[in-house]
Amino acid sequence: MNRSATPPTDPLEGSFDSAPARVSRRRSRPVARRPRPFAGPWVPRLLGLLVALVVGACTSGVASTPASIPPGATGSVAPAATATPIPAATPSPTLAPAATFPLTLTDDEQNQVVLKAAPTKIVSITPATTETLFAIGAGDRVVATGEADDYPAAATKLPHVASFGKVDVEKIVGLGADLVIAGGNGFNPPELLAKLRSLGVPVLVVYAPDLPGILKDIELVGDAVGDGPAARGLTARMQAGIDQLSAATAALPHPRTFYELDATKEIYGPAKGSFVAAEIALAGGQPITTTDPAIFSFPLETLVSADPEVIVLGDAAYGTTPEIVKARPGWGGMTAVKTGAIRPANDTLVTRPGPRLVEGLRDLALAIHPDLVLPAAP
Amino acid sequence: MTARGEVLRTPLVRTSWLERARGRPGRLAVAGFGAVVAALVLGVAFGTVAISPLDTVAILAHRLLGLGLPVTWSPAAETIVVDIRLPRVLSAMVVGVGLAVAGAAFQGLLRNPLADPYVLGTASGAALGAAVAVIIPVRVAVLEFGLVQVFAFVGALAAVALVYNLSRTGPLAPLTGLLLTGYAVGSLLAAGLAMTMYLSGTNLRQIFAYLLGGFDGSSWLRLAVAGPLILGGSAAILARARSINGFLLGEESAAHLGVDVRRERRILLGLASLVTAAAVSISGLVGFVGLVVPHLVRLVVGPNARRVLPLSALLGASLMVGADLIARLLGEIPVGVVTAVIGAPFFLALLRRARTGYEL
Repeated sequence: MNRSATPPTDPLEGSFDSAPARVSRRRSRPVARRPRPFAGPWVPRLLGLLVALVVGACTSGVASTPASIPPGATGSVAPAATATPIPAATPSPTLAPAATFPLTLTDDEQNQVVLKAAPTKIVSITPATTETLFAIGAGDRVVATGEADDYPAAATKLPHVASFGKVDVEKIVGLGADLVIAGGNGFNPPELLAKLRSLGVPVLVVYAPDLPGILKDIELVGDAVGDGPAARGLTARMQAGIDQLSAATAALPHPRTFYELDATKEIYGPAKGSFVAAEIALAGGQPITTTDPAIFSFPLETLVSADPEVIVLGDAAYGTTPEIVKARPGWGGMTAVKTGAIRPANDTLVTRPGPRLVEGLRDLALAIHPDLVLPAAP
Repeated sequence: MTARGEVLRTPLVRTSWLERARGRPGRLAVAGFGAVVAALVLGVAFGTVAISPLDTVAILAHRLLGLGLPVTWSPAAETIVVDIRLPRVLSAMVVGVGLAVAGAAFQGLLRNPLADPYVLGTASGAALGAAVAVIIPVRVAVLEFGLVQVFAFVGALAAVALVYNLSRTGPLAPLTGLLLTGYAVGSLLAAGLAMTMYLSGTNLRQIFAYLLGGFDGSSWLRLAVAGPLILGGSAAILARARSINGFLLGEESAAHLGVDVRRERRILLGLASLVTAAAVSISGLVGFVGLVVPHLVRLVVGPNARRVLPLSALLGASLMVGADLIARLLGEIPVGVVTAVIGAPFFLALLRRARTGYEL
């Protein structure tokens, strides 16, 4: 399957990746062509809408998400942002108690999840949680994943029980799963998750609106599978990596940076208060964002007047190159285009809220500051 | 009515199976029941998890008939058959019955071959209701009915009520008025839906899933609430087949035949809308079945509503279950796509075979 046709991989990618734009466009086409020879009056209207919805899909993002970015981590005063370490959940690993079952956890959508014993047949249907499980050594207990879960290699060999907007309840029950880890904020259909719960399968819903939330979710997943200490070890390393990067970029000038999610039709970039904006600040840039947390599209005029000094191509994996950017009408006046400061970044690493987040941040920092020499990751 | 009898009695003309079938509605009914049972069996026997047919039968006998069989199957298999597949298949069946009967009723009532259960704004109303329910940040669930189902039901009925009342006061003939008002109100509601979807953020997927329709959220409780409404409403429509036959001749002729036109029209519109609203509240907007199934039946047995309505119910049920099974096996593709892909070519083939003129 073409990379660009894969569904958005997890809640945060769903919010920030360019994938939703592409996916919904692709998905809307077959619907629009659905043969309705005697379509009633509502049909043409509805289908017309679906085309308009490309916009909806792209502006979707974190509409309902509280913009609980740590103070100073975002915003326009970038140096202050980088100088402020993120107040993340980093309890020292040595103090973490080993989880004892039975265990009751509260997930990110306030469900009480009761686990009678350490799960032995785990179904993980977001790319980030699948990565987390493998990173903390619980990978051998994962029995199925989602279609978009493409890392690590061992995870790709497992059967798929979920894809864009779908969860195969029957298959999950058939596998005898004793824990399902799913994405919140509508990433996996809430109705089908409720169905799973009604059949007695514990479902842990994970959704992180910001960087500290991502680390907390890794610990939550760790606790749920009985690997809390390993998860805290991982988050401590990640926090050290974040602090290290923050220190490395603090003294650098912070160029106005536009992180391009997609610009094939409309221009999409990070929303105000989004976690990509916080990442740009950490990586030594001054993020150019939209004016509202629920809006992801930029009118060209707004972008021109914001005058990015660096353009980071999050859509490089979809074939966007600096040459294409330079050739776009109206883009020639931007400083980044004049100086050629247009560089690609690995969008999956940057926007996937999982254990490789620090790699994404380092990638982003190097895209913004190509001459930066980063110390080895902790 | 066409020269059906002549064709049958003329030895020189070779009759097609289609025309022979017309004379034997009893056999068609038996075949229809057979198709429903076959769809039920296949729908329960197949899924993404392989469960042996013997186990499936044993589980059903054990749970439904209370036979004390030795348990040779896993608890997961039992959950899959009893709590996932069976309510799903029965939901598809009930919705298929409802949409097909409501479609036949609307077509007869409005004397319009393009009418379907959604023609008077039901679909737009239900879609808007569901979309509003999705974006409201309140989560209520009573008996596994979330706001989506309740709002879709209420939205569908409210839309029809609005259309009916607006059309009554206008200067147009009742039928023309209903159709045009339905179109106008439907367009307005669709605009509301567009705006709601635009504002829905990440919840767009949920709205989108509702618009495509499907049965993957089926449960016993939902079936227990919506099923009686749909089946009861459909039965009441079936009982009024005589009035629909009257409407087929035109409202004036119907009045001469002793049909209380206004009253019957109101009752039938109400029943068909109720059935449709209950169906779309549990299935989402599954298209095509309500439009094409009555036509398929009419092509075979002719326009008599006494035959069209019950046979539509049977065909609608089996087609919907079959379509849902195919949708499931192909990885949960939208069931409306399957109904269209199966139904449209079949419909076209029948249209080409119909020698005698086709009429509603």
